[in-house]
Amino acid sequence: MSARRIALVLACAGVATLTACQSGGGFNVNNIDLSAIAKNVGNLKEVKEPEEIQIGGSMAETLLGASPLLDDAELQTYVNDVGMWVAQQSERPGLPWRFGVNSSDHINAFAAPGGYIIVTKGMMKQLRNEAELAGVLGHEISHVTKKHHLNALRKGALVNLLGEGLAASSDKHSELVRQLAGPTKELYARGLDKSDEFEADRVGVVLAARAGYDPYGLPAVLTTLATADPKDNFLSLLYKTHPLPQARLDKLTPGMATLDNLKATQNADRFQKLTRKLKVASN
Amino acid sequence: MNAAKTLPGWLLAIFLLALPAAHAAETGYTLRATEVKDKPFTDATTVATLPEKTVVEIVTRQGGWMQVKARDAKAGWVRLLSVRLGSPDARPQTGGNLLSAIGVGARPRTTSNATVTTGVRGFSEEDLANAKPNPAEVEKMKGYSVTADAAGEFARAGKLTAQDAAYFDENGKPVKGKK
Repeated sequence: MSARRIALVLACAGVATLTACQSGGGFNVNNIDLSAIAKNVGNLKEVKEPEEIQIGGSMAETLLGASPLLDDAELQTYVNDVGMWVAQQSERPGLPWRFGVNSSDHINAFAAPGGYIIVTKGMMKQLRNEAELAGVLGHEISHVTKKHHLNALRKGALVNLLGEGLAASSDKHSELVRQLAGPTKELYARGLDKSDEFEADRVGVVLAARAGYDPYGLPAVLTTLATADPKDNFLSLLYKTHPLPQARLDKLTPGMATLDNLKATQNADRFQKLTRKLKVASN
Repeated sequence: MNAAKTLPGWLLAIFLLALPAAHAAETGYTLRATEVKDKPFTDATTVATLPEKTVVEIVTRQGGWMQVKARDAKAGWVRLLSVRLGSPDARPQTGGNLLSAIGVGARPRTTSNATVTTGVRGFSEEDLANAKPNPAEVEKMKGYSVTADAAGEFARAGKLTAQDAAYFDENGKPVKGKK
């Protein structure tokens, strides 16, 4: 803690103009006080919501740098509709939830703090209906509501990031992005703890069920993925960063029965209609 | 499927690409002794009971249920979670290949060499490592976002209504919390 404070003070002292050291020595990045984040990280206190959103947006810049959004406004809006509706069933309905389909042929999905969620085109092509999409999005939404990535950063990378202190920069937002790029790449290549993934599965199926969807959407996707070769190039990162699909199914099995007597909508027709272009374009 | 081994690669590729993703015939096996129902409901009539590791042909999948046909047993519906796709002998998690993927219905259709050539746009570990931050794409992503009200409209149009469901723990027991 004190070492990081010192690093911040030294960084401030080294700045030629004091513009980056306003508000009592803090670094303002679009009104986000980074020294406050540093203090909170040091004390392992909660990162405030505006800071969380700022961090997530910065991480999303790197994730979308790896693969940009698919140019299909109708599909992007559709995925936002499904995702926003599922997110409304969570404990954090008021976050600025943003969903996107990237142009990657790999099969994966990602969440970043503050409500940024990206599904790959490759994953979209594996899905059969809206309930399966809701299951995948429910899993990712759970990573956000449970702050899995934020906590992973607090435990490791972000501490180093802020400990270094921010260099003087005329564009402080891009400086935050730059500083977060390394930790972001490391975190998404390494993955979360397995326990976080199992928890996101358990919470995700409940969110989908609350939204009126067939809760077996996510188990159905995992069943599909369970047949794949783990050495498959398109699944390599998913397999590296997640427990095997069959292990996830085994873990979900005891709880699924609690969701058995609910309404279970699949909306396969709407899903097929809105994803038809993906299937045509792919071959 | 042995015939596939004699097919030229390009023909195999066409065959794979032509497979409809959601409706290819699949086979699997029971993970445990499993009741076969005449309809996809828990309280439907039980028409057969399959022992563990019974190989089944999957006719169709519907949410948490699979319509299956086992040799010497009546066709019917079993729980999705009671069946694992693939063969009980070949272990797809530890070494599938192109041909075994065809054997289990070629889903996910990812093992075709035909697709791992040019024009593949990835999100591999390498793509991630080489990523340059792209603020314009985040702005675009924000532009696609919808309001909670719009999502509610969308849900109504899709005949979706919110319902209560409790979170559950590792053992499947409901946990305290909202709803």
